[in-house]
Amino acid sequence: MEGQMLKGHLDMIVLAALSSGPAHGYAVIEEIKRRSTGAFDLPEGTIYPVLHRLEEAGLLASKWSTTDAGRQRRVYAMTRRGERALRQQRATWMQFSGAVHALLDGSRRWNHPA
Amino acid sequence: MIAEFARRLAAELDFDPPLSQRVRREVEDHLHDAVAADPSSDRSDAERRAIARFGDLRVVAARFAVAALVRQTRGVAVVAVAMTAAVFAAMQARVAWYGVMACGTAAPTGGALAEVVLLVDRLAFWLAALVGVAGWLYIGSRRVPVVLTRDCRLQLGRFSALCLTTAAALVASVTSDGVLTALRLARTGWCADFVLPLLLLGAEIGCAAVLLARMRRTARLRRIAGSKATVWAVRLE
Repeated sequence: MEGQMLKGHLDMIVLAALSSGPAHGYAVIEEIKRRSTGAFDLPEGTIYPVLHRLEEAGLLASKWSTTDAGRQRRVYAMTRRGERALRQQRATWMQFSGAVHALLDGSRRWNHPA
Repeated sequence: MIAEFARRLAAELDFDPPLSQRVRREVEDHLHDAVAADPSSDRSDAERRAIARFGDLRVVAARFAVAALVRQTRGVAVVAVAMTAAVFAAMQARVAWYGVMACGTAAPTGGALAEVVLLVDRLAFWLAALVGVAGWLYIGSRRVPVVLTRDCRLQLGRFSALCLTTAAALVASVTSDGVLTALRLARTGWCADFVLPLLLLGAEIGCAAVLLARMRRTARLRRIAGSKATVWAVRLE
């Protein structure tokens, strides 16, 4: 998918990926790929500035944990504020995509009158 | 290879040491996970692919720098106002002290030079105060950007101009205070009572230096944030 198409939606995408539960950066990227069936194949480093920004905005919280291999890992989880923000963004997106669908369907009929 | 990549990314983020350390650990963990998930049995190849998928570290650093730049720019605005207020307090304290000094006099130092310097001092200080507050209100009313867009660059440019004016006026005011103190000292001669005015003058110089240092740090961040952030913004956001 064109990078430009993601403009302004990265926050929502990351929040949506974390809606199923806490995860670390790599798992968030994998979840985005999985849920978008590979359509959102971002450079993986993209995710970290977004995660940090969302945490700074109070939409995510994070803490260090230790993996089985003994590595330190930062795990992110949505806060209540993050959940509210995702609900709002989802509603706005559904309204927008519904309007675009309606518009495209309408133009198709207009272009090909019966 | 992974440790070296994470170290280089951390070095790019040295404008914020705690962030730099945290990102280094996160990225190392990320790349180890990516290598573990790679089906290849050749670890070097897997590491190379993981690093390639992660993206250009300078671009990632630039994205972090944008967020830090926004925080620091607002911080500079607060520092500019606070330092101007501190210089004002020091000036008032010095004038009040001259009034109660045992040696010398509270009267003006006299002479045309002193009059001119006093005028420059007042004008420069009020210019610093007004422009400093204007800059603070301006940058405080701007929306926090996600990326360094053209509009954002324009706003930062305007704020920088306001900040530079504030700093230049503050330096002129502090320099004038220094000249006036020197003139007074030359006229009355040294006595122990001059210790406090000199300390207050030192505090004023310190205030101006703090503002200049913060501005310099922000200018460096702006260079990092601007290096590839716009290209990144167009591609990804």
